Amino acid sequence: MSLVFIPEDMDWVCEPCGERLQPGKVELTYLGNAFHVELPVCPKCGAVYIYEELALGRIHEVEQLLEDK
Amino acid sequence: MDQKELREWEAKCIQEEPPACRAGCPLNVDARAFVLSMARGDLDAARAVLEKSMPLAAVTARLCEAPCEVYCIRKDLGGAIAVGGLERLCIRETSPKGKIPRLPARPRKVAVIGSGPSSLTVAFDLARKGHPISVYHLGEKPGGWLRGLDESILPQSVLDAELQRLGSLHVTFVAVPALDAALIEAHPADAVYVGQDDTIAPDLLDLLTPPDPETMALERPGWFTGGLAGREFRFISAVSQGREAAVSIDRFLQNASLTSSRVPLRDGRTDLFTQTFGIEPVERVVPSGQGGFTRDEAVREAGRCIDCQCLECVKHCVYLAEHGGYPKSYARRVFNNSAIVQGMRQANTFINSCSMCGQCETLCPNDFSMADMCLDARREMVNLNRMPPSAHWFALEEMRSAKDAQAALIRHAPGASASDAIFFPGCQLAGIRPEQTLRLYDRLLEIEPRTGIWLDCCAAPAHWAGRQEEFVAILSEMEKIWSGMGRPMVVTACSTCLKMFREHLPAFGAVSVWTLLSESGVQASSTGRPLALSDPCTSRHDAQTRDAVRSLLARLGQPLAELPMSGELTECCGFGGLMDNANPALARKVAQARVAQSEADFLTYCAMCREQLSRTGKPVLHILDLLFPETARPAQEPPAGISARRVNRRRLKDELLARHGLDRGPKEPWEDVRLVVSGEVAAMLEERRILEDDVRRVLFAASKGGRVLRHAGDGRIIAASRLGEVTFWVEYREGEDGYEILKAWSHRMRITGGDL
Ligand SMILES: [Zn+2]
Repeated sequence: MSLVFIPEDMDWVCEPCGERLQPGKVELTYLGNAFHVELPVCPKCGAVYIYEELALGRIHEVEQLLEDK
Repeated sequence: MDQKELREWEAKCIQEEPPACRAGCPLNVDARAFVLSMARGDLDAARAVLEKSMPLAAVTARLCEAPCEVYCIRKDLGGAIAVGGLERLCIRETSPKGKIPRLPARPRKVAVIGSGPSSLTVAFDLARKGHPISVYHLGEKPGGWLRGLDESILPQSVLDAELQRLGSLHVTFVAVPALDAALIEAHPADAVYVGQDDTIAPDLLDLLTPPDPETMALERPGWFTGGLAGREFRFISAVSQGREAAVSIDRFLQNASLTSSRVPLRDGRTDLFTQTFGIEPVERVVPSGQGGFTRDEAVREAGRCIDCQCLECVKHCVYLAEHGGYPKSYARRVFNNSAIVQGMRQANTFINSCSMCGQCETLCPNDFSMADMCLDARREMVNLNRMPPSAHWFALEEMRSAKDAQAALIRHAPGASASDAIFFPGCQLAGIRPEQTLRLYDRLLEIEPRTGIWLDCCAAPAHWAGRQEEFVAILSEMEKIWSGMGRPMVVTACSTCLKMFREHLPAFGAVSVWTLLSESGVQASSTGRPLALSDPCTSRHDAQTRDAVRSLLARLGQPLAELPMSGELTECCGFGGLMDNANPALARKVAQARVAQSEADFLTYCAMCREQLSRTGKPVLHILDLLFPETARPAQEPPAGISARRVNRRRLKDELLARHGLDRGPKEPWEDVRLVVSGEVAAMLEERRILEDDVRRVLFAASKGGRVLRHAGDGRIIAASRLGEVTFWVEYREGEDGYEILKAWSHRMRITGGDL
């Protein structure tokens, strides 16, 4: 699974950090498989934002593939 | 599934058995495929079918006596398809399909004495296999009695052309003055065939003992014969004997056994079942002219073909039809899925989509049970840790929630210290119709005051999901609980619970509440308009309950509309076997197909059927709407939905406990988080299988100092929590009346180091 997933609207602020989200490196895992991707993260606390389109699209697809593998 | 099990499953499905016509053809011509091609007007394809199995098709098709017609299933419905007539028209109207392929040349020679149809068949079949053949014939040209036929039956030019094609296969024709003993003795061949459908000299005939009827072998090794006198059909029987002799000669030349694993002639025997009920008789098309069918007449005649297939199960099952095959091919799919070592298991969803309703087994002449096959496969997947975690997740969560402290309850009747009976409404009735569940319980208390109540789930989801270990553990726990109540008779309002208990907890002596009610009278009234009564699939083998329901309805004076697939043949609503979990789109289709079977409003006595069928928009009543009119819900009411079912179960427990002056104890801290959910968002949550309870838990965590994202422009807020195996995200605004939910989504993939 590759690579960079950044939503159009990046106007989100992490609370309580008060920091605007920025692209950052994240590790996703499912059923023993790991993927290194770039997602919106809070530069201060590292909180990750999985936006709707990504969850229902690419992530769902990969989950299904891995479940049938 | 192992090889042996695959064979056993395959053997049960007869769909690949030949149709009667093909089984009745001594040459194994696929007459069904031929006739269907003719019916489509595709004469070239039809000819290709003939050439695939016939020797010298241009001759054979003209002279074939069509023994297949004797076996045709159309025979008593207007007359057998005129296959012979169709063959002749087809062969007249088309041309041969290029060169006949020949296998690499072989060294050992074959002599064929005589040139009648049986001899030409031997030459054709063996020449194609690469054997060099010499055909000894009388007269100027080979063909024997075929040379004496009228031009209208077999034009000599056609015979000449076919013999020329034989020549191209390295068949040598040798004219001799007599087909006699001297000829055979002089010939240096490795094998000899004597075609008795030609003029054989008496001295040679004297040498021929009667051949083995299966192999056409004579006593003397390497000698074979055919075209014997006394055959049923002068032409096609000779060709058939020639073909059997050719099979033997080929085996003889390769020093192989003449008999081992040889496929015997079927003489019309087949296990293919063809349902003829409902097929209208159509008279045979009579050729208008002397020369047989015209092309148009032939297409019309072929159009009478029934296209014999079994497909009894597939015809009635959306799931079986959806996947484009039939049980035998599905068995191979399941086997391949289990045999895969690396790569995608393409049949996982297929295996998990069966509703396990048992209709196929009832319809199948051999009792093929997709339910059993899929359940075995699911158990294997679970045991090998190959079951997709999301396949049955939602239903299993619902089951566990119905069994948890917030929803489950077991109590004697208020004021009673023991129970003679215990009412087990089933988790879905409790979730979908809580008020009616209470009303029904009150009625049971009138009939038998010592009736306890047991809110729980029968564990059918664990069973359907193939989670045998979990299922057995739950059953044994339930048996303990029930023993603790003094082993009362279990009365259930759910056909699935009833089936589960009868099959897996027989000590319960479970009975249907409808049976009980039908024995004790009701005061209610009918809707007046006829309703289509849809039996739940789990009542398929429970005639007692089905009859009790009908007798209740008869006493109400409730008229019923006809619904053909009822009783033993009833259909699933799409929930059974957890189809709705593994394949929601298919479950919708199944429900749609079901409600389309009657114009009338539906009536059912299964809460889940009410829920699933009403999702199509069809008006559906539950029998309780008729039995207790003061609690009736309109037939048009939409389904309760996944979120309300959870809340309803808690409320029902609260109400029952209140009758004892008790309460549920500490509530979940998130239980009273107030949500504002529009219809649109509710539909989104339902479709995405996100519970309002899940949303409440996410928001509760956020309100307790959890991290959130706030939109810098418009102030929308996003919160997320990992709840079990799933991470839920909620987008919302804070309002006066509670949280206004805008969206929610989820995923199973984990973020290393946590989500928000
Ligand atoms: Zn932060």
